[in-house]
Amino acid sequence: MAKVKKYKQRNILMKLMLAPYLFLLIAFGLIPLIMAVLEVPGESLTNPDGGWDAFKIVVQDFRFPQAVKNVLGFMAIYVPLTLVLVIVMALMLDVRHTKWSKYLRMAYIIPASVSGAVAVLVWWAILEPTISPIKSVLNAFGIESATQIWQTKNLVYIIAIMTFFTIAGNWILIQYGSLQSISSEIIEAARVDGCSAFQLAVRIKLPLIRKYVIYMAVLLFAGGLQIFVEPQLLTTSVYTGIANAWSFDQLSYELAFKSGDFGGASALSIILLIPSMIGALVVIFKTDMFDDKTIRNKQESEKADL
Amino acid sequence: MKRNKVILAAAGVLAIAGSALISVPAQAAKPSILVWVDSPRLPGAKEYAKIMKGKVDVKVELHAQGDLLAKVQLFNRVKKGWPDVVFGPPNDVAVLRNPIINNAREISSLLKPDEIKNFGKLNDWCKGADGKYYCVKNDMAQSVLWYDTKLFAEFGYKVPTKMSELFAIGADLAKNHPGYSLGALGDAAAYSSYFWPSQCPLNNEKSATRVVINAKSEKCTRVTAALQPLIDAGVYYPGSAFSPEYIKVGQAGKIVAHIGPSWFGEFVLRPAGSFNIPAGRLTAAPMPVWDGEKTNFSGEWGGGIYTISPHAKFPRAALDFAIFMVGDKRNVVDVKNPDGSTGAPTFPAYLKGNALWKAKIDADTYYNGSPYAAMAAQAGKVWTGVKPVRYDADGAWGAAYAPELAKSKDIQKALEAYATYTANLAQQLGYEVTTK
Repeated sequence: MAKVKKYKQRNILMKLMLAPYLFLLIAFGLIPLIMAVLEVPGESLTNPDGGWDAFKIVVQDFRFPQAVKNVLGFMAIYVPLTLVLVIVMALMLDVRHTKWSKYLRMAYIIPASVSGAVAVLVWWAILEPTISPIKSVLNAFGIESATQIWQTKNLVYIIAIMTFFTIAGNWILIQYGSLQSISSEIIEAARVDGCSAFQLAVRIKLPLIRKYVIYMAVLLFAGGLQIFVEPQLLTTSVYTGIANAWSFDQLSYELAFKSGDFGGASALSIILLIPSMIGALVVIFKTDMFDDKTIRNKQESEKADL
Repeated sequence: MKRNKVILAAAGVLAIAGSALISVPAQAAKPSILVWVDSPRLPGAKEYAKIMKGKVDVKVELHAQGDLLAKVQLFNRVKKGWPDVVFGPPNDVAVLRNPIINNAREISSLLKPDEIKNFGKLNDWCKGADGKYYCVKNDMAQSVLWYDTKLFAEFGYKVPTKMSELFAIGADLAKNHPGYSLGALGDAAAYSSYFWPSQCPLNNEKSATRVVINAKSEKCTRVTAALQPLIDAGVYYPGSAFSPEYIKVGQAGKIVAHIGPSWFGEFVLRPAGSFNIPAGRLTAAPMPVWDGEKTNFSGEWGGGIYTISPHAKFPRAALDFAIFMVGDKRNVVDVKNPDGSTGAPTFPAYLKGNALWKAKIDADTYYNGSPYAAMAAQAGKVWTGVKPVRYDADGAWGAAYAPELAKSKDIQKALEAYATYTANLAQQLGYEVTTK
């Protein structure tokens, strides 16, 4: 009897712990999604008769192909750049633990405290040849005028750099954390077998944190797909119009708030949900990140240890 | 993941929820109005609120120009929150009159005969095809030729009356005085100073369903053909007059002349934080005429408008505010601005206010001869082929023209990028786009 009561208590506790997440999921996930679907067939300036061809209209929008090109070009730089540099930095941070490591870790987080909006201003100042603190470096590359930098074709690089510096510090710490989960016995065994620091990093540590790396890649992908703040601030307050409707989210914003086309904006948001959803499914089914088998195995091995 | 992918939708929900919190002023014996203005208009609006204290509740909010367009669609969904009177860019009158947006009411029925008389021809932009007024124009932003009398005397130039004479000055600067400039061509500057006065057909609305856009017209190519060699020679700057780079040129005293709107003097050339051109050097001349034309037309850059919401409970009180801003000495001449200057920087589009402003500018010793006469001469010469259109024609200068000009430095190509972009926008909103 006592066992059943205990089980029930645990069950209630579990539900209580799940409740905040469920609330957020419903309030900021499901309800907006349902609202978006209901919004699509509404009448608007671009879709005066209303109806589901809002999807077709938005894909045929003259700004859509350019947004595809921009966002894919940006992600082709941003995702690998962030992935490689973050992993390298985290591995390097993990090589030897000294009293300095904690200060180093702090140093990595500082650029991350410069959030999207501020990062735009910081990078604008750095890349503006007349006021830049690295003026001489820019001049050495033959860059004397702002018009050489602030061009549409350079935006994929500029925005990739901005986003990298905003996000890299956090990810370095997260991956540093994932490296701490590796059992010290494995590291010790490898060392005894004559593994160099480099081999240890590439052959032992990296494969062991593989699932965290994939998880990060998927999140970077989903985040990159929704790039909004950096180009939007550039286009509204730094160089007016330079990145107008540059990304999908900006186009969606433009449709809703410039053309009054909430249906088209919702349609585009729903289209964007698809790749993100695929990313989520990859994490769930193709990595063992959320695999309860590993959790069960762990529990069993813990029991066996007892 | 989940949180990530719904950020946009969530933002929408929050925005809607947020706007629901702004309540409409309740109907009361004492009228109350909600006013939206941008920062140059803020001191005047605050002054008005002070003056009207006890008579009308005036709530002033600071909003960037064009904010209304973004927010009004949300107000329309929650059916509340509309500001009563808003300062916005001139093209907004067409966008706001669109039945789906419906946020600019006709004001002819509210106007007193004396006020209509004071509009003169200066408020014609606000007149719909039905002959009714739909907005109050704050200012005329007609282009004039600003020039530096000291540099003109030094280099031995005569004030140009023909465009070819202006370009000859440019050629001479390139050859004999490198580093000196005839202006910046970014933003809407090239449009208001050159393309529009040349009658280059862009955004020429012919009817509610047809607009003419043709960047290859001879009226456009004569502009680009004349400007291109001078851009290549560095006499014209292919970027914004507000960029740090060009402000340096201005502060170095190297701007010989600059075709610009009537507010250019008080807002760009004079202020210490901007070009900071010393006193006693500047004045304005009428626009040079394009060779072979009869009239020296102007274009406009800005020239904002006040629109009154059809949802306003006290529309006449809202209109009173607009009339105060354009016609009352306490705003036009006396109001104290944060930068230490007084009065409105712009040329009032209301005869009474305009006369007050004239007195102020004429008495100002900063200019080497009052620029007012040139402004007055050009005020009636804004070429009227350009009409407000339902799409964001102003924003497209930044979205399509400026990036192409910065990239290729090819102004014809940049103009064609603008034309393609606006043609797409126009078609999306149900216009037929033709080249003639």
